[in-house]
Amino acid sequence: MAPQPSISEGLVTRPMVILFAVLLSLPLWIEAVGLYQYLGIEIAVWMIYALGFNLLLGYTGLPSFGHGAYFGVGAYAFGLVQLRLIESLWLGLAAGILAAMAAGALVAGLISHRRGIYYALMTIACAQVFWFVAVKWHSVTGGEDGLLNVARPALSFGILSASLRGNTALYYLAVAILGLTVVGLWRFVHSRFGKALQAIKQNEMRAGFVGYNVWLYKFLVFTLSAGIAGLAGSLFAMAQKSAYPDVMSLHSAGLVVMMTLIGGGFVSFWGPVVGTAVFFLARDLLGAFTETWLLWYGLMFMGIVLFKPEGVVGAWQDLVRRRRTAGATKETGSLSHHRG
Amino acid sequence: MEFVLHLAPHLLNGLSLGFLFALIALGFMLIIGVMELINLAHGSLFALGAYVAMVVIAPGASWWGPLGKWYVAQPLTLRYVLALVVAPVILAFVGMLLEICLRRTYGKDPLYGLLFTFGAAMVIEELIRIVWGSAEKFLQVPQAINGAFLVGGLIYSKYRFFAAASALLLILLVWLFLERTPYGAMIKAGAHDSEMVRALGINLKRLRLCVFGFGTALAAMAGIIIAPIWGLRPHVGVDAVIPAFLIIVLGGVGSFWGAVLAGVLVGLAVALTAVYVSEWSLLSMYLLLIAVVTFRARGLFGKKSILEV
Repeated sequence: MAPQPSISEGLVTRPMVILFAVLLSLPLWIEAVGLYQYLGIEIAVWMIYALGFNLLLGYTGLPSFGHGAYFGVGAYAFGLVQLRLIESLWLGLAAGILAAMAAGALVAGLISHRRGIYYALMTIACAQVFWFVAVKWHSVTGGEDGLLNVARPALSFGILSASLRGNTALYYLAVAILGLTVVGLWRFVHSRFGKALQAIKQNEMRAGFVGYNVWLYKFLVFTLSAGIAGLAGSLFAMAQKSAYPDVMSLHSAGLVVMMTLIGGGFVSFWGPVVGTAVFFLARDLLGAFTETWLLWYGLMFMGIVLFKPEGVVGAWQDLVRRRRTAGATKETGSLSHHRG
Repeated sequence: MEFVLHLAPHLLNGLSLGFLFALIALGFMLIIGVMELINLAHGSLFALGAYVAMVVIAPGASWWGPLGKWYVAQPLTLRYVLALVVAPVILAFVGMLLEICLRRTYGKDPLYGLLFTFGAAMVIEELIRIVWGSAEKFLQVPQAINGAFLVGGLIYSKYRFFAAASALLLILLVWLFLERTPYGAMIKAGAHDSEMVRALGINLKRLRLCVFGFGTALAAMAGIIIAPIWGLRPHVGVDAVIPAFLIIVLGGVGSFWGAVLAGVLVGLAVALTAVYVSEWSLLSMYLLLIAVVTFRARGLFGKKSILEV
């Protein structure tokens, strides 16, 4: 069930080109199909978040159910830098990533010797602590309301600078960061480190016997994944112009699990990307018809867990495989999983 | 001495809170023990049970015509007792329905069961929101257990005593059921070694169905007892499921008295921290869990279980 290493492990692959062709042209047509610019930012942010999360769930087989905490820590860190320190994009993003990584490392240090359901339970308990602190520590986090009026600092490279106040400008920044994340993670999961993670997913004990320091790998991948969540959280704080405790709740952490799984995070690198798109389209399209869209989305999720845990990408892979076996009966035995 | 006297009411408060927490964890524990399944829908079933009880106690009379009018005119105590029976039975059927769906996940990674019940929790919460709205609701209780009384200059709520006593009673009944009846023996055996149970000719399929139904009924019972204290919101399920799993992990999977003790410990921790830092009292239970589990990997009395693989 581990995502199969693909034959084409180039720096840029065809799905990447397709994804970015769609995303880069999005502002041109999104309003024509009845949606709005801001949706694009949300989708890009959650794609970054879900891709980082899938390092744990899909690649290492670690069920982290409290990932919203690191997303939230990133958002608060970004907000605090803008409000208390200095209006700076780069400093804010760095603070978001580092704060989330620190929080992640703290938790990972406590739980990396655990496995399976105990691991899931401990991630929930730790996430609740962060959520609770965010709600109660009024003087820093602003309590239930959160940090308001977080600035959108300008994107500046020395003398060149561009305002990010418009949603389209911020969208392009989010897509650029998503691009870096996709390319970086693609390299990462195909590196030796990524291979070790997949070995841990298949059998932790065996990976240990082969000589991998399993604890260290689990610790590092959790910290990295938390850092990516923090990056996404920083962008989210900029998009929302605020940071609030809701995103740290169990409910919000559950959404990223659902997106990753529905898309097919168990079998593909692209699962989280597809799942995020499905979620937001379901929200806005089903939401236009009925107030109760979350009910239908939940039922869909239950169905997918029972009947097709490989998700949308898994169903697509089955389809491709079936067509190939029907078409080319000569080449038996070369049923490589089509990914990439 | 004065210090102890000062703390005594808080200790009592913590103890009663602890029994309530243990009560919430009871059904969760049965399901985790026999099915090796984390039922994340436990909290939502808890909430749904309380909402159903609310309808049984005070249905919209206009729906049912004269029969409804006659029913609402009956004494509240009667309707309350009826709700205590009917709502858990209805919820038991809901639980059995979930179990039938869950059969597809048996033998796979336990993660699938957890994910499925997470989806179920979301669906149930949305259903509650659709049927009853998001506003806070209240569960009526009979006059006899409502109100307050005075002991040594301190005001106590009668209902809290009633709730703690019923929680204790239910815990004892479930324990007697598990220890003193053949069905209890089957459930315990099923938790210990399900293959062997099947080999002995016990219908494991039916056993699991019944345990899930029973666990859900206990969740509903806990919901009905606790709803008058916590209030009823669609979101209340999350407030219930988190202490439930926390207590099981703290007490150790597979240990009945471990869970009860953990419930009491959590109750005491919350109540005593509330004396000094009331804002932060709920945080104490998470910190207690993290502290215990860091040093005792399987909780206080846990045995090795499938959940670690």
